[in-house]
Order: sequence, then C-alpha cells, then structure tokens
Amino acid sequence: MSEFVRLQKDQQINLADGGTATVIGKLGEGGQGVVYRVRLDDTGEEKALKWYFVSNFNNPRKFYDHLAENIEVGSPSSSFVWPEKLTVWNYDAPFGYVMPIMPKGYESFSKFLNAKAYFNSANAMVNAGLNMVSAFKALHYKGYNYQDLNDGNFTIDPNTGKVLICDNDNVMGHGQYSGVLGKARYMAPEVVRGDKQPDKLTDRYSLAVILFMLFIGEHPLEGQKTNVPALTNKYDKKFFGTEPLFIFDAKDKSNAPVPGLHRNAGMWKYFPSFVKEAFQKSFSQESLLSGRGRLLEEEWFNVLMRLKSSIVKCPNCGEEIFMESDRETVCNSHKVKPVGYLNFAKRSNQAVTVPIVGGAVLYDYHVNSASEDFEKIAAVIKEKPGKFGLENKTNRNWLITAPSGKTTTKQTGETLVLGANFKIDFGGGNIATVVVNS
Amino acid sequence: MDLTKVPTVRRMCPVIFLLDTSGSMDGAPIGAVNAAIEGVLPELIDMSDSNADNEIKVAIMAFDSEIRWVTGDSDLITPQELRDRWNDLDADGLTSMGEAFNELHNKLSVSHGFMKNASGSVAPVLFLLSDGEPTDDYQYGLNKLKQNNWYKVAARVAIGYGDSNDDVLREFTGNKETVLHTNNPKDLKKMIRFVAVTSSRVASQGSSSVSDDGANSPDDNTQNVATAIQAQGGALNADADEDW
Ligand SMILES: Nc1ncnc2c1ncn2[C@@H]1O[C@H](COP(=O)(O)OP(=O)(O)O)[C@@H](O)[C@H]1O
Ligand SMILES: [Zn+2]
Repeated sequence: MSEFVRLQKDQQINLADGGTATVIGKLGEGGQGVVYRVRLDDTGEEKALKWYFVSNFNNPRKFYDHLAENIEVGSPSSSFVWPEKLTVWNYDAPFGYVMPIMPKGYESFSKFLNAKAYFNSANAMVNAGLNMVSAFKALHYKGYNYQDLNDGNFTIDPNTGKVLICDNDNVMGHGQYSGVLGKARYMAPEVVRGDKQPDKLTDRYSLAVILFMLFIGEHPLEGQKTNVPALTNKYDKKFFGTEPLFIFDAKDKSNAPVPGLHRNAGMWKYFPSFVKEAFQKSFSQESLLSGRGRLLEEEWFNVLMRLKSSIVKCPNCGEEIFMESDRETVCNSHKVKPVGYLNFAKRSNQAVTVPIVGGAVLYDYHVNSASEDFEKIAAVIKEKPGKFGLENKTNRNWLITAPSGKTTTKQTGETLVLGANFKIDFGGGNIATVVVNS
Repeated sequence: MDLTKVPTVRRMCPVIFLLDTSGSMDGAPIGAVNAAIEGVLPELIDMSDSNADNEIKVAIMAFDSEIRWVTGDSDLITPQELRDRWNDLDADGLTSMGEAFNELHNKLSVSHGFMKNASGSVAPVLFLLSDGEPTDDYQYGLNKLKQNNWYKVAARVAIGYGDSNDDVLREFTGNKETVLHTNNPKDLKKMIRFVAVTSSRVASQGSSSVSDDGANSPDDNTQNVATAIQAQGGALNADADEDW
C-alpha cells in the first residue's frame, strides 16, 4: 500500500472526467482524510476536494466505484453536499472527490450541542428539524440509506434553520453495506447488539436521536442508569444496546435525567404532548428492543409542522410558547388554552391542527395537501377584542361554509371572522374545520 | 419558554502528557516542546468544541529530578484553561521516569485521581516524551502502571528525542508503531503536534465509525493510533498551507 501524500499549493490534480483542478489551500482535516480548497481549471470555480487516507480502506477500488455510483445517481436534494467529480484512479495511489464548498454562516450541529452556537428563534430550531427530516426523506426516497448518521453530519444556519449535510461518502444504495456500523450513541440498538447491519430503519432511529438532541439538548438514553463516573466505553453495549431505556419513558422512570447533571432536560416540559408522544414512541422499549414503532420521515414531518404552527405568544404574558391546540399549556406559573383550533385532515396518520391564537401562522403545507413548503405563509390568525380572524395570504379564493349552511368567499388579503364549526375550503379539497374547545 | 441550552453532557477524554524536562533537554529541545504544546492547544480547543460526545481535558506532568503536574494535581483542565495559563517549561535535573510512571498510575484512578467525572470518561491518551535514559528504577513504576485498567485501554504514544532509550518508550506504549523518534528540534515540534493531534482525535472520536471487519478492535486505541499515524504517511509530510 502506498503512502499517503499531502497535496501542495498549486499542485494540479487530474480528474476522472478529463478536467484538472489546482490546489489553493487546506479547508480542514478529519479522520478519513484532508479537505483542500481547489479551483477547477476549466471553469475557475472553487470547490472542496476530499483527499483520502487510502490505506484506511480494505478495498480502495470498491470505495472509489461506490463514489462513482453515488455521483452518477446524484444528490437526493440540495441539502446534501454531494460528491460531484472523482480524481483519476491510479492503482494504489491516493484519490479523492470534489464537492461544493460549504457556504459561510453555517455552524456544525456539535457546536449547537456544546452551546457554542445558538438558534436565533424557536422557529429556526424547528425549521432545522423539518429540514433534517425532509433531507432524509429525499435520501431514502432515492433508494439510499445513510448508515452513519450522527451529529457530525449536520451544519445549520442559526438564523434560518437551513441544514447542509456533509460527509456523504458512506451513503449506500439499498441493500448495500459500507462496512461502517456508525458512531456510538447514534447507532440503533440492534446494530450495537450486533443483530443487524445499518439500513433505512436504523437510520430512522439515529434521526430520532438527532431530533431529540436538537430540541432537548440531551441524549435520549442517558440518565440515572447510565450515570457511571468511570470508563464509559465498556458500558456502551449495555446502555445503547442490550438495556436501553428512554430518559422520559412513559412507564419506567429508572433512567430519568439526573438533576444538576442533565441540565437541559427541563426543555422537555415546553414541548406539546404530540411531540412528547412521538419521542416516547420512537424510544419505547418496543422500538429499542425490536425496532418497531419508529416514525417514518413523513410522520415526523407532520409532527414538526404541527409544532411549528404551535409557536405563538402566550395570550396571558406575551412570552413565546409552543401552544397545544386542544388542551392546556403550562406557561410560567399559569395555564393557557386557546378558544379552539383549526383541524385539518390527518396526514400520514398524524393530526394536523393550528391553535386559534393571534399570531399563529399557516403555511402552504396547510392549504395544499401536496405541499411540504413550510416557509411560504398561507394565512395568519388575527385577533381583535371578542373575535378571531383568518387572513388569506394565498392567491386563491377560499370558500367558507357556516353550520347554518350559509357560504361566503374570501380573496387574497381578506380576513374571515372565525365561527364555530365553520368549514374553510382552501381549494383542491383542503378543508379545515373550526373546532371550539370546551 | 426559554430554549437557551447549556452545553450538553459529555464524557471526558483525558489527554495526559508526560514530558521529560531533564537537563539534557535544555536549549532548543525544550524550546521545541514549549512551542509545540502552545501550538497544539488551539487545535485541541477546536477538536473539543466540535465534539458533542466527549470533551477533551488535559494534564501535563513535567518530570526531571522531581515530578510536577504543571496543570495542577487535583483535576484535568480544558485546553482553553491551559492556553490561558500556559507558561514555558524549563529543563534541569535528572530523568525520574519510574517516579513519573508511578505518579501517573496514582492519578489514573476514579476514587483518588484524575478520572472522576460525573458523566464518565472514555479511554485516555497517554503521551510520553523523553530524551534520555531513565535515571531511576523505571521498571518499578511501569509494572504498577501496567496493572492499571486506564493504562490498559489508553491510546499510548511516545516520542524519543536524541539519546532517548526507545526500548523503554516501546515498553511504555506496548506498540512499536506508536513510538516515533527524531534528532532535530524543528522536527520535534512538528512531531509532538502531529502525534498529539492524531492520538487525541482517535481517542475523542475513536468510537466514531466502528468498522466491523475486525481490522480495528475498538478497544485497542493504541493500535488505532498506530493505524492513523500510518494512514497519514508519518509525521514529516508537509501540507499545502504549511509555513516554513
Ligand atoms: N465541503 C466542504 N467545504 C468546506 N470545508 C469542508 C468541506 N468538507 C469538509 N470540510 C472541512 O474539513 C474537515 C474534515 O472533513 P470531514 O468530512 O469531517 O472529515 P472526516 O469525515 O474525515 O472526519 C471538516 O471539519 C471541515 O472543516
Ligand atoms: Zn404565559
């Protein structure tokens, strides 16, 4: 096996497509190789070049071919910093691939976890979750699975929640296996136990861990039971494989967070019941021990959309909260409950609701069942003494039917005064009902 | 609601340096050591900030006629704390390596040493640098150390400079591939940095991607470092951005 050779400034690299690239400098270094800044000589574009420590591979040619295949099949979505070109294959010599350079303004997810980066709003944090879920939906849809999903793969814009996924070289086609099991604490228990190789289902476990850490800031399986002040590696199999227990398990409290140590665990109380339930399902004993009941990406998407639309200012004290639609929400030392909520048809068996509170927002997602757009605002709930309104921010007419049978239409910019049991048809069969809370 | 979080709970990844500050290190060699330690700290800070699983903590022991924990003898400190209070080491006296091993053994303990950490600890890095023959009974200290469970799982690396006894260093690491040698102070600086960064990366991210082909036993961190050193083509391999 040949020695790894670092690249020099101004060195020219031959690409597999016949082009060349010139080394400008270094961008970073990881366990698998060095990442250089290069310029494509034909277009002048700057790119990142990942240059591997080839002796790490048992079969470099196989890995090279695997990268070629991923380049050919293409990126699942714009969230992935996907390989674009390979360097030439030269028996036994180092090789690498070209990818886009990560734009400025993104911070690694690990930095968020270490409180070295912060979201500038609850909305940006929830957007990050939605973006992660969408990216993995696209990945799985394209027939890939990630296999080594962990916090190190994500970089996030703290202002918008936009997500870029890097380190995509272990992404595999369905049924293929990279030989990488994953990272401790993120691997599915069945992988830790050695029962299974990573696949789409184990990706879903890792995704739930990432989402939990994004929102709560703690690891879902680390609590009282796992709190050993000693060498931890040797317990990993037990805590993350054979005897895993969710820190907020609905029945068994023996692994609850340790006060003073798991100090972010208090975030849990802010989240609405439907988010708590989604996590309790994802980390139930059934899921942990037999892989059943994990949420699909579309299910997470709908749960997180509901979370996004629950972000409102507390009608009592003005503080931003996640507001339940159909029950009380505890805010500081008081409880609040909306007068009612807009109830849409379920999506992937998840309820879709928006609390009727001034400032609540509906997105294109709500008014168009084929849409997963969670940026484009479709309507806002407004409040005046004694009444709530829904302003039409779409460019379609809404058809509203009151329980009396009376109908009316609302055009762009007009506001409907909401009444009990109104049916609002946003077009295309997307109907919301105004449900009044008792 | 206040969604502002505090840093997530991490395990500790101890990185412990045993540095020979005997009289023979005086001059250029100790200068290289000082510059290397100072130079490596920003990299360790960044490595630790970007790791949400394990937090790097360091300790530095200087051993000559006496042994002294430069970083304090009650706890490990963060690389940031070390950078804020770093003072150059002086070289003077003998090479009490046996005592150094014995003291390291004492500190590799949860009940009365450095390893007590509320959220647990992963296997440490043990980094030894020497430029000469031990002047005391090193076997005595090393035998004790070899019984220590933290020592057993540690990533053990060593650098020999000049007239170092590399057989002793190899006995310490238990792996000849994690002992490097140089006679040139400029190379020494680079080598310390290279070995410190590589071993800290393996130890702090080591469990990162466990391959199941049996090539790397996740429990043999010293071998994992050997593999990483080899994969990178050794220490003396200039990079695109390297200053002269
Ligand atoms: N596309 C990119 N643009 C800019 N910097 C990058 C890019 N990819 C990687 N890097 C830098 O290189 C470092 C190492 O890359 P990474 O893929 O994490 O390596 P490894 O998988 O070998 O650990 C990263 O921390 C980052 O700083
Ligand atoms: Zn309130």
